[in-house]
Amino acid sequence: MRRAMVIDTRRCVGCEACVVACKTENRVPEGSYRDWVTQESRGEFPNLELLIRSQRCNHCSNAPCVTNCPAGASFYRGDGTVQVDRDLCTGCRACIESCPYDARYVNPEGFVDKCTLCVHRADKGLPTACQEVCPTGAIVTGDLDDPTSLVSLRLKRGNASVIAAEAGTKPNVYYVR
Amino acid sequence: MITALFRFSIDSVRAMLRGSRAYYLWMAFLACWILLGATAYWHQLQVGLSATNMVDQIPWGAYIANFTYLVGMAAAAVMLVIPAYVYDDHDLHGVVVLGELLAVAVLVMCLMFVMVDVGRPDRLWHMMPVIGRFNWPVSMLSWDVIVLNGYLALNAGITSYLLFTKYRGQRPERKKYVPFVFIAIGWAISIHTVTAFLYSGMGARPHWNAAILAPRFLAGAFAAGPALMIIALSVIRDKMGFPVKPAALNRLRQIIAVTMLINLFFFFSEIFTELYSFKHHAASMRYMLFGLQGHTKLVPYIWSAVALNVFAAITFMTPRLYKHQKVLYAACGAAVLGVWVEKGMGLVIPGFVPSPLGEIVDYTPSFTEFCVSAAVWATGAFIYTLLLKAAVPIELGKLRLAGAPTLSPEDYHQGHGHAHEGSEDHSHGSHETPSPSPEAAE
Repeated sequence: MRRAMVIDTRRCVGCEACVVACKTENRVPEGSYRDWVTQESRGEFPNLELLIRSQRCNHCSNAPCVTNCPAGASFYRGDGTVQVDRDLCTGCRACIESCPYDARYVNPEGFVDKCTLCVHRADKGLPTACQEVCPTGAIVTGDLDDPTSLVSLRLKRGNASVIAAEAGTKPNVYYVR
Repeated sequence: MITALFRFSIDSVRAMLRGSRAYYLWMAFLACWILLGATAYWHQLQVGLSATNMVDQIPWGAYIANFTYLVGMAAAAVMLVIPAYVYDDHDLHGVVVLGELLAVAVLVMCLMFVMVDVGRPDRLWHMMPVIGRFNWPVSMLSWDVIVLNGYLALNAGITSYLLFTKYRGQRPERKKYVPFVFIAIGWAISIHTVTAFLYSGMGARPHWNAAILAPRFLAGAFAAGPALMIIALSVIRDKMGFPVKPAALNRLRQIIAVTMLINLFFFFSEIFTELYSFKHHAASMRYMLFGLQGHTKLVPYIWSAVALNVFAAITFMTPRLYKHQKVLYAACGAAVLGVWVEKGMGLVIPGFVPSPLGEIVDYTPSFTEFCVSAAVWATGAFIYTLLLKAAVPIELGKLRLAGAPTLSPEDYHQGHGHAHEGSEDHSHGSHETPSPSPEAAE
């Protein structure tokens, strides 16, 4: 089992429904976000191209947050995702410092939190909240070990990239365009 | 032995409680700050870290900046220990215990700064081995826990042993403590190296992700630490009547003259590397030195730090300047303050600006952070004063176990020096009353 998310940036319209859905589903506190939308313009006027990306924790296979956590609160779940055991978190924030994606925030209740890739839903066979609400189907999640899954099929088309590949974190969130 | 240890504790506490009017006033002044900080910390415990001005973009602030600086101050005790034990500097031997006690007080401050920075201190036991999940050896923070507590134990142990044997009127046995002194020398380098690695190991923060960081940390610490020691030793000499040889202070001055130059050179190397190539990773450096997109909050601080450090470096090298006591003290203060800004806020905050998502967030400590930080500093000064109140009379031979033979300070210092440590010395090294050495006879 290797959970992954593949986002087709050509489908993304930047409506931020994924952001709202995540806030609601995961009761993310005011001022913090587990996912967000970035826009990147490429090229030179008048030949401009706008790239819209829904971003979140990249669930890295080589996650600096897991390495840096002194209490073992950040951990690999074994299914390709990185999770936080909120009862073990001492609030030292070393994981926030080490994350190249700014994916983490401090929950006012006293622990560091981030995108879980909706494992509480995935374990029941449901898609992530962001995937469910995405109006254009830009977001898909699934098992990379299954060659017939939607994520595997999207990656087979080629053209896939990850954010900040140079950080060496081996993300499990891919972008195709 | 047990009785002597008991008497040692009782007499030490008694010495700490007695003092002049100025002593009580000083301690009351510190106690006021500690109480203010305790109140502020209570508030922080109630509302959590939202009492601070730290945010998700700037998750480490004044607490960790002070912590980083103080780890260096603790490590800088080796600038007394290395000349005294490795190069047999007899002038520094007389004051080396005072330097180690400073390291003890500073380490307590370090641990307190970590404690107040943690969002859930009630869960710190999760980091303890066996009962929790101590992520060692992977997490640099777990290394920091080990080296800081180990260094505290080493310094507390060595100073306690030296003072206790002196209290009993005996000469310390070299084989019982010198091996630990040498372990402590390596350990001191390691505490600041580990703290630097905590920063430089983070690939997501290009401002810290530099190989020069650990050497730069050490150079800054070895400039600011001895500068603080010069001030502390002068105060101890003037207020507590402890004989500090001018040669000892001069040796410290020579050390700073070198280390401050190295520190400035490392700083310049880093600025050059970042700014000359002008890659986008230089944004943090530009934010620190010139400001970024109108955010210039840090700029005056870092340039004052550079000015203070340059002033200190020039003064410590120029006889016409440093021979005036007041100028020398001013330069010491400049070195202490300059490195504090440069390595504290000047290093920690630019690391977060801009954030990986490109956000620029300014940070100023909140009133709570200011009060708590001031209280931790006051606690350190409080502890150091208490330790000195017991250690100085013991070192001077005024505080003794009843009926213990009296050694003059010269006898004692000769006891843990190398140079006169011939075969003859070994034979009576552990005697209750050592025979006078050639040096003492002079």
